[in-house]
Amino acid sequence: MVKDIVKYPTTPSVEFGTDVRLFNEELFSIIEDLKDTIIENNLDGLVGYQIGYYFNVIVIKDENGEFLELINPRVLKTEGKTIVTESTAYFPGLTAKVQRYASISLVYQDREGKQHSMKADGDLSILLQRKIDYTFGSSFINKLSKNEKKLFEKKLEYGSDIAISESCPTIFKRDYIVKAINALMIAMIILFLSSFFVSDESAKTIWNYQIYLCFGAIGLNIVYFFYAQYEGKQFTSCSSCQIGNIIGTTAISLIYLSVIMLLSYFII
Amino acid sequence: MARLVVLGGGVSGHTAATFAAKWLGSAHEVVVVTPNSKWNWIPSNIWVGVGEMSKEDVTFDLAPVYAKAGINYKQAKAVSINPEGSGTNDKPFVTIEYTLEGREGDSEVVEYDYLINATGPKLNFGATPGLGEGSNLGEHTVSVCTADHAIHANEEFQKTIETMKNGERQKFLIGTGHGMCTCQGAAFEYIFNIEHELTRAGVRDMADIKWISNESFLGDFGMGGLHMKVGGYAVSSKLFAESLFAERNVDWIIGAHVNKVESGKVHYELLDGSFGEEEFDFSMLIPPFAGVGLKAYSKDGSDITDTIFAPNGFLKVDANYAAGAYENWKASDWPETYQNPTYDNIFACGIAFAPPHPISKPMSSPNGTPITPTPPRTGMPSGIIGKAVAHSICDRITKGENAPLHKASMADMGAACVASAGKGLFDGTAAAMTVYPVVPDYEKYPGTGRDTDYTFGEIGLAGHWIKHILHHLFIWKAKLKFGWTKIPE
Repeated sequence: MVKDIVKYPTTPSVEFGTDVRLFNEELFSIIEDLKDTIIENNLDGLVGYQIGYYFNVIVIKDENGEFLELINPRVLKTEGKTIVTESTAYFPGLTAKVQRYASISLVYQDREGKQHSMKADGDLSILLQRKIDYTFGSSFINKLSKNEKKLFEKKLEYGSDIAISESCPTIFKRDYIVKAINALMIAMIILFLSSFFVSDESAKTIWNYQIYLCFGAIGLNIVYFFYAQYEGKQFTSCSSCQIGNIIGTTAISLIYLSVIMLLSYFII
Repeated sequence: MARLVVLGGGVSGHTAATFAAKWLGSAHEVVVVTPNSKWNWIPSNIWVGVGEMSKEDVTFDLAPVYAKAGINYKQAKAVSINPEGSGTNDKPFVTIEYTLEGREGDSEVVEYDYLINATGPKLNFGATPGLGEGSNLGEHTVSVCTADHAIHANEEFQKTIETMKNGERQKFLIGTGHGMCTCQGAAFEYIFNIEHELTRAGVRDMADIKWISNESFLGDFGMGGLHMKVGGYAVSSKLFAESLFAERNVDWIIGAHVNKVESGKVHYELLDGSFGEEEFDFSMLIPPFAGVGLKAYSKDGSDITDTIFAPNGFLKVDANYAAGAYENWKASDWPETYQNPTYDNIFACGIAFAPPHPISKPMSSPNGTPITPTPPRTGMPSGIIGKAVAHSICDRITKGENAPLHKASMADMGAACVASAGKGLFDGTAAAMTVYPVVPDYEKYPGTGRDTDYTFGEIGLAGHWIKHILHHLFIWKAKLKFGWTKIPE
C-alpha cells in the first residue's frame, strides 16, 4: 500500500530507530508498503520511519533497479571521505553538502532474520549511509558541517533551495519610490509655506497644486506597497520582517501626507 | 545472633555490608570477605590512567572503615561455598583463604546464616591470547580496571608523550579486548581522556587514536544504545558518539572480536566474518569478565557448582535463564530479588549475579563467533541492588523468614552515568546520561523499550564538574562519613 511520506517539519517519532525483533507478517507488510511507496514516488529508497513505522527497515533500489531489503543494518567499516550534494524525501526540494564515507561495509538481516554482509561504494554507499542515519534517528542535518548546517537551516526556514547564498540587499529599487514620495511631500511643504506670502488668488492656485501632489503621493504609496512586496520575494534570504517594514513605511508616509493636507486645508 | 557474610567489598558488596551493619546493629554480625585491603572508586581509575589522579585519590583503607561500622573484616578471598554444610557441620559455610600480609594462604571456614555474593568479576585477560594469563594482565597492553593497572597505564602513556615530543608518531588503540566484553563506557572515557591529555601536552597532531570495540554500533555501551531527547527529537546515542569521535578526530573499528594480541599488534574478527590486524604503540583493552571461580559443594562433598553458578561463573538468581532467542526477551526475564533459586539464604549483587541474557542485540559473525556486548551491572545499578539485597536479608533476620523480599529489577530501574571525556576545571568535558529503565521494557514502552522522557544525555563542562563532585561524594559515602546514608547509590 502506498503510504504518505513523513516530511519535515514533522518531528521524528520518539519511538523509531528500533531493531526488528519479530520477523513476521507485520514486517513483510511494512516492506511491501515501502516498495509501493518507492515506486509511486519514483524514489531510490525509503526507511520504515519515512512512512511512519519505527522499525529499522530499509528498502532501496540497487544499480539494476532491483529492490534490496536491509533489516537492522550496521556499518562496520568505512574507507575514504567524500563530500556529496544530497537530497531526501524528508526535506523535499532541498539539498545539502554532506560529508560521507566513500565506501562502507555493513551487516544486515534479511526478512528471514538471516545475517548478511555487503560492501558498497559510490552512490550506493552514500544512499545506504543516508538511510542508515534514519534508522538511528537522524537525517543528514546532523552530519553537516557548521557552515553547511547554518545554510541548510536557512533553506528550511524559507522552504527554498535557491537564492540562499546571496545576502539580503541593503538597498532596494523600492527605495527610489520612497524618495519620490518624500520629494513630493517636501514640495507640498514648500508650497504650504509660500502660501503665507502670496495673495489669496495665488493661494487658491497653490491649494490646487497641493491636491494634485497629494494624489500623486497617494498613488506612489500604492505602487510602493505592492512593488515592495514583490521585490522582497525575490530575495529569500531576507527576513520575514520585510512586510512589517513595508506597511510601516507606507503608514508613516500617509500620516505625513495627511498632516500636510490638513494644515493646507485649514490655513491656505 | 545471625551472621551475614558478604563476599566482596566493591561498590555493591560495600554498600550491602555497610547498610546491613547499620540496620542490624550489634545484635547480629556482618562479615566482609574481600581480598583487597583498599576500597577503590573504580570510575576514577581512568584519571589515574592519564596521571590526573593518584592511587591515594581513588582508594582508601578498608580496615578502619569496617572497624567503625562494626563489620568483621577478613582480608581473604572466598574459595568455595557449602550451602548445606558438610558431613560434620550442618551449618552452611564458605571457605576462605587469607591474602592479609602475614597470613597469606591461611584457610578458614566462615559459617553463615545469609550469604551475599558480591565478588565482582574475574578480569578474564586469559580469554584472549596475548591479552594476559588468567586474571593477570599481559605485557602488550595496559588496563584501567584496577588502580594499580591504571598507574601502570599512566607510566606507559607518559612514555608515549615523550616519544612524540621527540618527533615520533604514536598509534593508540583503545577499546575492548574480546567479543564478549562489557564496560565499553570505561574504555570510552579512557580514549577521550587520552585524547584530551595529548592535546594538553601539545602532541595531539603526532597521535593516531583508534577505537576498537565489540559494539555493533558506536554508542551501544552494552545497553543497546540510548535514545536521547535533543531539542525535542529522540536521537540514538550512535549519533551522539559518532559526532564526538569525528569532532575529536578519533577513528573507530566496531563489531570486532579481538582474538589475539601480540607486541604492537592486535588481530580481530569482524561481524561480517572478515579478519583484520591493527598496529599500536599504546593499547588499553578491557578484558571480558567471568565469575571469580568459586566452587560449591553439597553436604556429601559432591561438586554442585553448576547448580549454583551459571556456566560463566556468575551466581544464578531469580532470573529467567530460559528466555531463548532475542525476540522472546522480556523485562520480566531480569531478576528482582537476586535470591538464588536453590538456596534461599544466598543472594548476589553487582557484577556477580548471572544476567539472563545480553541487553544489546545478540550478534555473531558468519564463522559463529559471538560478538555482543555483555550487560553492564556496574555503577549505580550495582549500588541499588546491593542496598535492596541487604534490606531483604535484614528484614528476614529481624522480622522472620517470611518477610517479603525487596525488589530492584534493572528493568524497572533508572541509572545515571557520567562519562568523562577529559579532565580539567575549565576545559574538562563529560557526557551525562540518564537511562530509564536500564533494561528495555518493550511491553511497557513499545519501540525503544525505554521512557524517552527520562532517557537523555548531554555533553559539556558541567558534566565534568558533576563527575568530579560525584568522585568526592561517593568516596565520602563509602568512608561512612557524616550523612553517608543520605547520599544516593
